[in-house]
Amino acid sequence: MKKQALSIVYMFLITLFFASLISAVKFLNEAKIETNQIVKLQRIILKVLDIPVQEAISNENLTRLFTAQIKDIQIGKKTLYIGYEEDRRTIRGYAVPVGGPGFWGPIEGMVGITPDAKKVLGLAFYKHNETPGLGGRITEDWFSDQFKGLPLYPIEGGQNIFFLTPEGTQKRANELDAITGATNTSSAVEVFLNQELDFFLREFWGSIEEKE
Amino acid sequence: MRARKQNRTMEQIHPLTLLFAAIFTNNILLTNFLGLCPFLSMSKGKKTALGMGAAVVFVMASTTALNNLVHYKILIPLELEHFRYIVFIVVIAAFVQLVEMTVERFFPPLYYSLGVFLPLITVNCAIFGASLFMVIREYNFVQSLAYGAGSGIGWMLAILTISAIREKLQKSAKLPRGLEGPAITLIITGLLALAFLAFSGMIRVQ
Amino acid sequence: MPNRPGKKDIFLTGLWKDNPVLRQILGICSTLAVTNLMVNTLVMNAGLIFTVCMSSLTVSLLKNYTPMRIRMMVQTLIIASYVIIVDILIRAYMPDISEALGPYVALIITNCIIMGRCESFARHNPPVASLLDGLGMSLGYSLVLITIAFIREPLGFGTLLGFRILPEGFVQWTIMIMAPGAFFTLGFLVWIFKYFQPRNEGKETK
Repeated sequence: MKKQALSIVYMFLITLFFASLISAVKFLNEAKIETNQIVKLQRIILKVLDIPVQEAISNENLTRLFTAQIKDIQIGKKTLYIGYEEDRRTIRGYAVPVGGPGFWGPIEGMVGITPDAKKVLGLAFYKHNETPGLGGRITEDWFSDQFKGLPLYPIEGGQNIFFLTPEGTQKRANELDAITGATNTSSAVEVFLNQELDFFLREFWGSIEEKE
Repeated sequence: MRARKQNRTMEQIHPLTLLFAAIFTNNILLTNFLGLCPFLSMSKGKKTALGMGAAVVFVMASTTALNNLVHYKILIPLELEHFRYIVFIVVIAAFVQLVEMTVERFFPPLYYSLGVFLPLITVNCAIFGASLFMVIREYNFVQSLAYGAGSGIGWMLAILTISAIREKLQKSAKLPRGLEGPAITLIITGLLALAFLAFSGMIRVQ
Repeated sequence: MPNRPGKKDIFLTGLWKDNPVLRQILGICSTLAVTNLMVNTLVMNAGLIFTVCMSSLTVSLLKNYTPMRIRMMVQTLIIASYVIIVDILIRAYMPDISEALGPYVALIITNCIIMGRCESFARHNPPVASLLDGLGMSLGYSLVLITIAFIREPLGFGTLLGFRILPEGFVQWTIMIMAPGAFFTLGFLVWIFKYFQPRNEGKETK
C-alpha cells in the first residue's frame, strides 16, 4: 500500500514540475507567437493590395506601414480591409479574406479587389494543408500572379469568374493554369474561390459602399 | 488569448468522403508514413496483420473521436490547448488499457489471440498522428469518427497488402544480400504508395 | 555486462554500428516525412537531438527515485514535455517551418528512438553516459536524414536549402517529393547499409 501511495505522490510531483515548466515556456513565448500571426496577416494584406514591402522589413515597421494605410471594417461576421494610397484618402482597393475546403484541409487566403470591384488586384493563400511541392504550390507567385487583373462579375448560369485548366490548354482569358499533378487541390480552389468571390460581390459590395 | 474555434468551412466536407479519402487517397501509412515502425521489425504474416489491423481500426476510430471531444469541449474552454499532446497520449493509453481489460474479462479466447497486440498499439504513431491531424484539419465529431475509422481501415489495408506481398516474395525469391527484411519491405511499401496515388482521381471534394 | 564500453564507444555506436534508423529501424515516420526539404530536416534534427539528450539525461538523473511500476508513464511524461517545449519554441521563432513540419514535431513523442534509449540505456546508466548515448543516437539519426534530404530535395525540387543547384532545364522528379520517393530512398539506403554492415552480433538493443 505504501508503495502505491509513493508512486502516486511521485507521479503527481513530476507532473506538477513539468506542467509548470511547459506553462512557463508557453507564457514567455505567447506574445511572440501571436505577433507572428498578426504580422503574417498584415504582410499578406499588403501584398494582395500590391503595396510594396521590403523583404527585410522589421515587424514594427511593417505594422507601422499597415496601420497607416489599412483600415479594417466589420460587415456582419466578416472583417474586410480597406487599403489607402499614401495620401491616406484615395482608396487603393479592398482586401477580402476567403477560405474553403481544400483537398486535405481548410485553405485560407486573401483577395485584393479594385475600388470599383471590377477586377482582382492580387491573391495570396496563407494557410493550407496541401501536399508540399504539389497542392502546396498555390502559395507560389506564379500561381497567384495569374489572378492579377482578372475581371470580376457575379456568376450567372455557370459562367465562372475563372477556370483552372491544365497547363497550355487555355483558350479564353479567364482560363488559368492549374497546378500540374495537383488536380484535386486545383479543382477545390476553383470551386470555393469562385463561390467566395461571387458571394462577396452579391452580399458585401453594397454594404461597403454604405460604410464609406 | 483567443482560443481557436472550428473553422466554418470544414463542415462542408462530408464524413463519408473523409472515410474513403482516408482509406485510399490520404492513407495514413502510404501518404503520411505513420504506423510503419512496429511492422518493419516484425516478420510475421497475414494473420498477425489482420489481428493487429482490427484492433487498430477500433482504437483509432474511438480515440480520434474521443480526443475531438476532449480537445474542443475541455481543453479549449479551459485554455489548456498546449497540453494536448500529453492529454491525447493519456487518453489513448487509458483507452487501450480499458479495452484490454474488457477483452480479457469477457472474451478470453479473443484476448489470447489479439491481446498481445494491444500494448503495442499504444506506441503506434498512427493512432497519435490521427488525433494530431484531426486538430490541424479542424474536424468536428462526426468527421473525426469517420476520419479515424477510415485511417484505421486504410492502415490495415496497407499492412495486409505489404505482408501478403512479402510472404509471397520470401517463398518464391532469393533476395540479394542486404535486401531482406526492412529494405525490401520499404521498397514494397513505396510501390504500394505509388499504386495508391492512382486513387487520387477518385475523390471529388465538393 | 562483462566489458563496460568507454564513453567514446557509447557515442560512436549510435553513429554507425547501431544506427537507430539503418540498424534498429526506428524513427522511420519522421525520417520519411520531413526529408523532402533540407531546411525542414535540419530543424527536425535539432528538435530530436534536444529531446533525446534532455530526456535521456532526465531519466538517468531520476533513475534511483522513480518507482519501477510507473517508469513508462514517467518516461512518456518527460519526453512529451520536452517535445511540447520544442514545439512552442519552433512556433515562436520559425513559424513558417513550424507550419511546414505540421504534426511531425509532436510525433517526436512517439518516435521509438527516444523511448528506446530511455528504456534500454538511460534507465541503467549514469547521466553523462546517457547523455553521450542520446547524442550519438540522435546524431546518427540526423546524418541519415541529411543524406536522404540531400537526395530528395535536389531531385524533387532542383534546390538545396532553397538555393537552386540544378539547372532550370532539369525535369523534376516529382516522385521524390511524394511518399513513394521517400520509401524507395530509405529502402535503398538500408540495403546499402546492411550490405556493408551485416548482422551485428552481440550487442542487440531492442
